[in-house]
This record gives sequence, C-alpha cells and structure tokens, in this order.
Amino acid sequence: MSKENKIIYGIYGDEEVLLSAVKEARERHYDIQDVYSPFPVHGLDPLLGLAESRLHIAGFVFGAIGTLTAFLGMTWIFTKDWPIIFGGKPYWSVPAFIPITFELTVLFASIGMVVSFYVVSGLGPGVKSKLLDRRLTDDKFCISFENSENSDYEEFFRSTGAEEVGVA
Amino acid sequence: MNHFEFKGSLKTVLLAGILIGVLCLGWTWMIDDHNHTRFWSNFLHNSVFFTGISFTAAFFIAVCITAYAGWHTIFKRVWEAISAFLMPGILLMAIIGLGVYFHWHHLYHWSDTAILDPSNTADFDKVLYGKSSFLNKNWYLGGTIIIVGLWIFFANKLRLLSVLEDNFEDSHFSTHRTMRKYAAIFLPIAGFSSAAIIWQWVMSVDSHWYSTLFAWYATASWFVSMIALTILILIYLKGKGYFHQVKRDHIHDLGKFLFAFSVFWTYLWFSQFMLIWYGNVGEETIYFKTRYDHYPVLFFANIFINFAIPFLVLMRNDAKYKFGSVGIVAIIVLLGHWMDFFLMLKPGIYETAMHAAPAGEAMGEHGHEVAHAAEHVSNFVSGFTMPGLLELGTFLGFLAFFLFVFFTFLSKAPLTPKNDPYLDESLHHHV
Amino acid sequence: MSVHVSPIREPLVTGHKTYHQITEDLVSPTEKMPNLSWVIGFIISLTLLTFGLFCIFWTIWVGIGTWDLNRTIGWGWDITNFVWWIGIGHAGTLISAILLLFRQKWRTGVNRAAEAMTIFAVICAAIFPGIHVGRAWVVFYFFPYPNTRGPIWPNFNSPLLWDVFAISTYFTVSLLFWYTGLVPDFATVRDRAKGLRNKIYNTLSFGWKGSAKHWQRWESLSLVLAGLATPLVLSVHTIVSFDFATSVIPGWHTTIFPPYFVAGAIFSGFAMVLTLMLVTRKVLNLEDYITIEHIESMNKVILLTGTIVGIAYLTELFIAWYSQYPYEQFAFFNRAVGPYWWSYFGMMFCNVITPQLFWKKSWRRNITLTFFLSILINIGMWFERFVIIATTLARDYLPSSWSYYSPTWVEIGIFVGTIGIFFTLYLLFTRVAPVVAIAEIKAILKSSGDQYVGKNATHHDEH
Repeated sequence: MSKENKIIYGIYGDEEVLLSAVKEARERHYDIQDVYSPFPVHGLDPLLGLAESRLHIAGFVFGAIGTLTAFLGMTWIFTKDWPIIFGGKPYWSVPAFIPITFELTVLFASIGMVVSFYVVSGLGPGVKSKLLDRRLTDDKFCISFENSENSDYEEFFRSTGAEEVGVA
Repeated sequence: MNHFEFKGSLKTVLLAGILIGVLCLGWTWMIDDHNHTRFWSNFLHNSVFFTGISFTAAFFIAVCITAYAGWHTIFKRVWEAISAFLMPGILLMAIIGLGVYFHWHHLYHWSDTAILDPSNTADFDKVLYGKSSFLNKNWYLGGTIIIVGLWIFFANKLRLLSVLEDNFEDSHFSTHRTMRKYAAIFLPIAGFSSAAIIWQWVMSVDSHWYSTLFAWYATASWFVSMIALTILILIYLKGKGYFHQVKRDHIHDLGKFLFAFSVFWTYLWFSQFMLIWYGNVGEETIYFKTRYDHYPVLFFANIFINFAIPFLVLMRNDAKYKFGSVGIVAIIVLLGHWMDFFLMLKPGIYETAMHAAPAGEAMGEHGHEVAHAAEHVSNFVSGFTMPGLLELGTFLGFLAFFLFVFFTFLSKAPLTPKNDPYLDESLHHHV
Repeated sequence: MSVHVSPIREPLVTGHKTYHQITEDLVSPTEKMPNLSWVIGFIISLTLLTFGLFCIFWTIWVGIGTWDLNRTIGWGWDITNFVWWIGIGHAGTLISAILLLFRQKWRTGVNRAAEAMTIFAVICAAIFPGIHVGRAWVVFYFFPYPNTRGPIWPNFNSPLLWDVFAISTYFTVSLLFWYTGLVPDFATVRDRAKGLRNKIYNTLSFGWKGSAKHWQRWESLSLVLAGLATPLVLSVHTIVSFDFATSVIPGWHTTIFPPYFVAGAIFSGFAMVLTLMLVTRKVLNLEDYITIEHIESMNKVILLTGTIVGIAYLTELFIAWYSQYPYEQFAFFNRAVGPYWWSYFGMMFCNVITPQLFWKKSWRRNITLTFFLSILINIGMWFERFVIIATTLARDYLPSSWSYYSPTWVEIGIFVGTIGIFFTLYLLFTRVAPVVAIAEIKAILKSSGDQYVGKNATHHDEH
C-alpha cells in the first residue's frame, strides 16, 4: 500500500466533541474520509453533508412489485388459469385478494430494502472490515482522513480535542 | 403576537358564512316534504360531524397528556378551542333529540310509534320492538345530554387547568399532574360513551342493521377530520403571523397523523366491508348493497378521497413537510369525511322517509318525487343520493359557525401556553 | 448541541452510566459461563420441549384422533394455542415499530428482547396449523408453488390461506428487523472477543464498523421497516380474526373482531414481555436499563389495552342483544352461562377486572404485583381464545350434536411443549446476543440518562 493511501484518524471520547470537530473540519474544507461511532449520532448527517438515503425509494419499488405480483397473480390464477367459484363469490373477488396483496407488498418491500441495504453498504456474512480501533463500537468516536502526508491533520486533531491520533 | 384577536374581516366572513348556512337551511325547509326530511337530515349530518370533531379534539388532548407527548404543546390551545364546540354541539344534538321526542322529524324509523304496537299486526316490527328499550326517545335525548355533558365536563376541565397553568409556576408541575388524572379518567369514559352515542345518532338510522365495528369506524372518521382541520387552522394562523414557533416539524407530525389515521380509517372500512361481504348475510349486506347500488359514485369516491389521495400524496416524507401538499390533502380529506358521514346517514334516512310515506301520498308533491325515485333506483334525488348545493351551503354555514366558536375561544387565552412541562420540548421539536 | 427534555420526564437509564459501562453491562452476559439458575431453567425448558416433541410425534403417528376433538368442536386447544402464541408474538413488533414511530424512548430498554420473543412465539404458533391438519407430511400444500398436480392452487379466497401468507410474512419481516438491529451490537461483542468467538461474531455482525453513512442508512432502514411493520402487525391478528369472522357462525361473525383481536394481541404480548423481562432484569442485573419507569409504562399499555378489550367484550355483548337475532343472542348467553361459563368468567376476570388495579400508581410500580398480574393476563388471554373457539362451537345450530370437549394428555403435552420451545430459545438468546439494544441505549443516554435528566442529574445544560 502506498503512502498516499494511508489513513490518519483521531479518536474522540464524546459525540459532542466529535460534532464540533466535524464542523471545524468542514469549515477548513478538509475531505473527511469517514466518521465512525458506536451509535447513530444525532445531527451528524447534515454536518457531514450526507445526501439523504434513497433506501425508501428502493422499498417503494420492491413494494410495488409485490403488490403487482400478488394481485395480478391471483387475478390470472382465478380468472384464467383455474377459475373456481368459492362461496358464491365472483371469480375476480377483489376484497378477498386484498389481504394477500398487502402481505406480499410488505414482504417484497422489506426483503428488498434489507438486501439493498447490505449490498449497497458492502456488508454481509464473511465481510472482513479493516477496523481502525476496537473501541469504536464501544465508547469512542473517530474521524478519518486519507493521506497522512498532510501535517495539518495532526494539528487539527490536537486542536479539536482528539484523545489519540493514529495512522493506518 | 401571542394573543389571537378575533375581529375585522375574519369575523365578517364567518358571519356571512353562517348566514349562508341559515339561508340554505331555510331554503331546504321551504322546498322540503312535509316531514322536512332533507332539512332535518342535513341538520343532523352537520351537527354530528362537527360535534364529533370537537369530541375527538378533547379526546386527543387526553391521549397526548396520558402518553407523555410533548411535541404538540405550543399549539395545544388550538385543540382546546376546537373542543369548545361541544357546547353548541350539545344544543344542536338536543334539538334533534327533542325532535325525536315531539316528532318534529322522521329521521329514525324506530321513533315511529305505530310499528311498536304488537296489536297493530299490519305495521308491527318485531325487531325494532325488541330494540325499543335502547332505541327510544328517552335514551336518545337523555343519552345525548349525559354523554355530551360528560365530554364537556372533561374538555372544560382540561382547558381550565391548562389556562390555570399559565399563571401558576410550580416546579412540581402539580397542575399538569392534575390534568393527567382527568385525562386518564376521560379515556375509558370516552371509549365507552362515544360508541354508545354513535349507535344512537348514526347507526340507528339504519334501524335494523347493526355492526359491532361501526362506532370505531365513525370515530376514526371524526378523528381524521379533526386532524385535517387542525392542519388547516394552523396554516391559516401562521399565514396571519401567529404561531411563528410552529415549524414545519410540527406540521410534519400532523401530516403523519393525517396519513396514518387515513390508513387506519381504511383498515376499519375494509374490515367492516369485507366481513359483511364475505359472510353474505342478507340482513347485513343490505347496508352496503344499498350504498353500492344507489350511491356508486359516493361509495367509490369515499375510498378514493379518504384513502388513495392521502396515501399517495403523503407517502413521501417531504410531502408531509410542505404546507401546500399537506394543506390540500387536509381540505380534500375534510370534505371526504363529511361525505363519509353523508353516506352513513342519508341512505337510511331516505329509506325511512319511504316508509313514512307509502306511495308518497303523505308527503305531498315532493313525496311523489321521492317515492318515484325509490321505484327507479337509479334516479337522482338531490340532497339524498348526492349532496346538492343546499347541502354544501349548509356545510359552509356549520363550518363558519364552528370556526366562529373556535376563534372566539382561541382569543380568550394566550396562544402559547406557559409553564407546561413539555413546552421546551415542543419549542425545540425536531424530527 | 443542547438536549431539550421536559423536566417532568423520568430518566430511563439509571446508575450514571458511561458508554463503556453500558457496553460492559450488556455484553458481559454473553461472555460469562451461565449461572446455576440459567442451567436449571434450561434443563426444565428442554425437558418440556422434548415432551412436546414426543406428543407431536404421537399425534402424527397415531393420528389426530388422539386428540379429543369431535364432530361439533373441530377446533380446540390446537387453534386456541395457535392464536394465543400469535397474540404474544405481537408485542415485539409493536414495541419496536409503533413505539419507534411514536418516539417513545422507553422502548429501547425492552425492544430487543421483545422482538426475540416475537420470533420465538411465532415459531411456537406455526407448529399448530402444521399439525392440526392431520397429515403433517403434506403441509407444504399450503403454499402456492409449481406442482405436478396440474395447475392446482390453494384457495386464495380462504382466510386460512391469508393466514399462511400473513404469518410467514410477519415472521420474515420480524426476523429481518430484529437482525438488522442486532448487527451493530454483534459488532460490539466482536470487538471485545478473541479467537474463534471473534470470527463467529464477525460473521454475525456482517463486518459492521459504524461508519456514518452506514448509520444513516441503518436509521433510514429502521424507520421504513417500522413503517411497514406497523400495518403488518395490525394485519396479522386481523387476518387471524378473519379466520373466524368471515364465517356465519354466531359469536364469530362480527365486524369488531379485527381491531379487537389486535388489541387483545398487544395486551397479551405486553403481559408476556413483562413476565419475561421481570425475570431477565433480575437474573442479568439489568435494573439500570429496564427501570421501574419501563415497567410502569408497560403497565399503562396493559391497562389501556385491557380496557379496550373490555370495551370490545361489552360491545359484542350489547350488539348481540341489539341485533335481535336469536342465534346471536343465544351464542352470547351460552358463553356467559353455558357449560363453559368458567372460561368466560376467567376471561372477564383476568383481562378486564384485574388490570384495573393498575389505575393506582404505586401498584403499577410494584414488581411482585406486576409479575403476578402479567401471569394472570396470559392465562386470561388464553381463556379468551378458548371462549371464542370451543364455547362457540360447542353449541351450534343443531342441538342434537351439541357436545362438550376437554383435552387429552397429548393436546396438553403439545401446549406444554411449545412453552418449552419458547423458553429454550429465549434462554439461548440471552447467552448469545445482548438482551438490551446497546447502540440504542447509548443513543438515548444524553436525553434519558439519570446524570442528565431527573432529580439526580449532575450535568446541567448550560444552553
């Protein structure tokens, strides 16, 4: 790994210190590689300028596929493939199709979204992530920058209250 | 601007609205049959609708207090003022009740004494005779006064305590704790009593028909209307420069309620419809058969307006933030639920009007028209099979009356409460 | 960032916890050897489970005739247990999803365990439709799939098939929801573990590292899943109620069934959550995370849903009279004073009357009373399903075939066995996964920790 691809990171002990550090980094126009935290920090996303997640759009699309699959499927089965009269109801008994249509909508949307989430995030069974510090899932917060050549970063970490600075 | 001033053009507009309503009611009375069925049914329809909205506001205040909700605190005075309409509401419903008592109208088939006499074999109605210990004039009038009276008691209590809290700083929030007691006691009372009174007011217009879900369904309809009205009122008041602390986050939450409870209403609608459709018992399906056959436009419009529109428009998160989209949906849904009550009430009343006037003879000239319409069911009878202009005018009149009462009460206390334990949370509400 | 919390709110995390202490407290049960009470509990559960499996085997081997069902009463303990378990399986999703949407912060203390409970309860429930059909080896006929029997499809108009879809969807979505919540916590466990444990938890945690973008997506996913799970949880018991209400049997065919079943399900689910959590918090020393406030909030939900259920009971009773339909009237007369009057009485007593004790604040906060009442409610809700199913069937339209039903040892054994399955799975769960959601507790610490809010607060907001 070349030196340019190295990562420099600072570890913080509290999310409020982290938030002010992120704010500072944004003001200095630093290119933050990533921020790690043991829990979702409220107010971090707008500071980092993260675009809103589009997962819900995926959910809508998958849900719509589920709706159509269920409703058109039952319509085809009970009007074309094997029409049977049940309980004196018409072949195409819409009210009776609603429950299954609803269930499949939810099922498709949920599975679709969860799978999209893991695929897009690059997470899954067997994925080995390079961890900067083991305490980042416990009680520490971290900002990382690419390219440790820049000596400003060390000064930035020290001035924003980082407890430790490391290179990986 | 922490104090709403009710004056000037708003007052004029509302008074004009009330005048329109009175004129429409008067006009309806003039052209009506001799029982004045259209007049009384419009009166009942709007009274039930607005009294119910007012009730659900009081109920929701109690729910919020009990559930430790804090987001709504800065505009809770709006709900308090909405619940003030219970006082005119009890009068309006008592007029209907007195009408049952003195046979001013013939909205309820069970109020017909001829069918309850076992010796009168031609007209005797065994089912209604069996129900007569509940469906009778005393229960109707007495139930209305006792139940709405109870609602008024609790709504007033919560309002008074809320206003009292403004001038009473106390680190233990004892006023709020007292409110909590009243709110908690109100909840089960509201649950039982609203069902009991809806059976009387609304369900019994189809006097043979019954559905255990009906009261919950009607309450859900009221609730959605109440949320829609709250949104519209807040948007209006913000436009006038009041409630500047009410931010898009609060509207967003109201939008979520509008969305969620529209879906909940649909759930109840579907449950009731599907079970009756599936069971296929004639005594039950007649309710939906009448509406499906004779009111097809309203029947489908009901679902489209009250489910499809809020569902599709408000599904997106940003739509719930925009005053424009939330406001338009609120208008549509408010009208939609008014129409839903039209559909709950009018077919049964129309049916009763038929019975009251065999072959239309007793009803004079208009009676012929009504009876004729019964023979040819596809016929259009304005005011019965479809809301006519007079119905819309009456609605406007009642709405203006409602708003007049609302603004009067809103102006009586500061808009933003003080010393409410949740005030700070509500001011900094951020989703 | 200032935190605005009403001064009237009680803290939800006590003991002045730091983030590290939270990790320590919540992960350590998975790292230690189980104590004696766990081992004894596990052995008992496993014994019950084994006996239950034997009874299921016996049913399949001897045939369904080994149950005491008869021509009139075709559904007995089997479907009663099925509905009971499904009902219990409602609290998890309710706590996670609906309370998330309503921003009730106290959910974080109990949501993880409640979701686990949901999944185990649904597993227990799913056993019953599988075996009560008699020929359990062709149970896959339930599902629409390409087959060599010609284009033969299951009946999509049947509420029983809706049930198959509803329960399998509910199970899948609950599992996804639960697991997605567990992923960050598994990462926490992983980062404290070494060797093989580290490898196992790395696989379980999907390589989670807590990146900001991942958290953002994770929160968005949780919110949308909650939005989907909320109507789903309503739909499941609604569809279970359709099994009964679409028929024309008096006492079953009533439109209030859907919301009333849902309220009952939430009611019984919360009762079971309370039963379990009261024990869990004691055994795993979680009193700082599942506080008296949590218990009181849950008792309020119990009181609320118990009263809703009571309103529904009385509505049914009243409308049965109001209908002036003699069969409907008889069905309810029979429920209250017929041969099964004791189960109707048990239902009314346990579900409507006893929860009213929770009007008193000090009783809502009394752990012994809460535990006792939660068990009573579990029993009462079982009675409710028994009343609806067996009592109604025992007196049908044809008086010559009226009969009485009581279970055989096999039916009782299967029920006891499902309790064994449930507790075995739950006990295993407490060993391998954090019982309280670590990340979510950390996220509410600053707004609900007792060093920040409440009367013992030491940090004061300067804003």
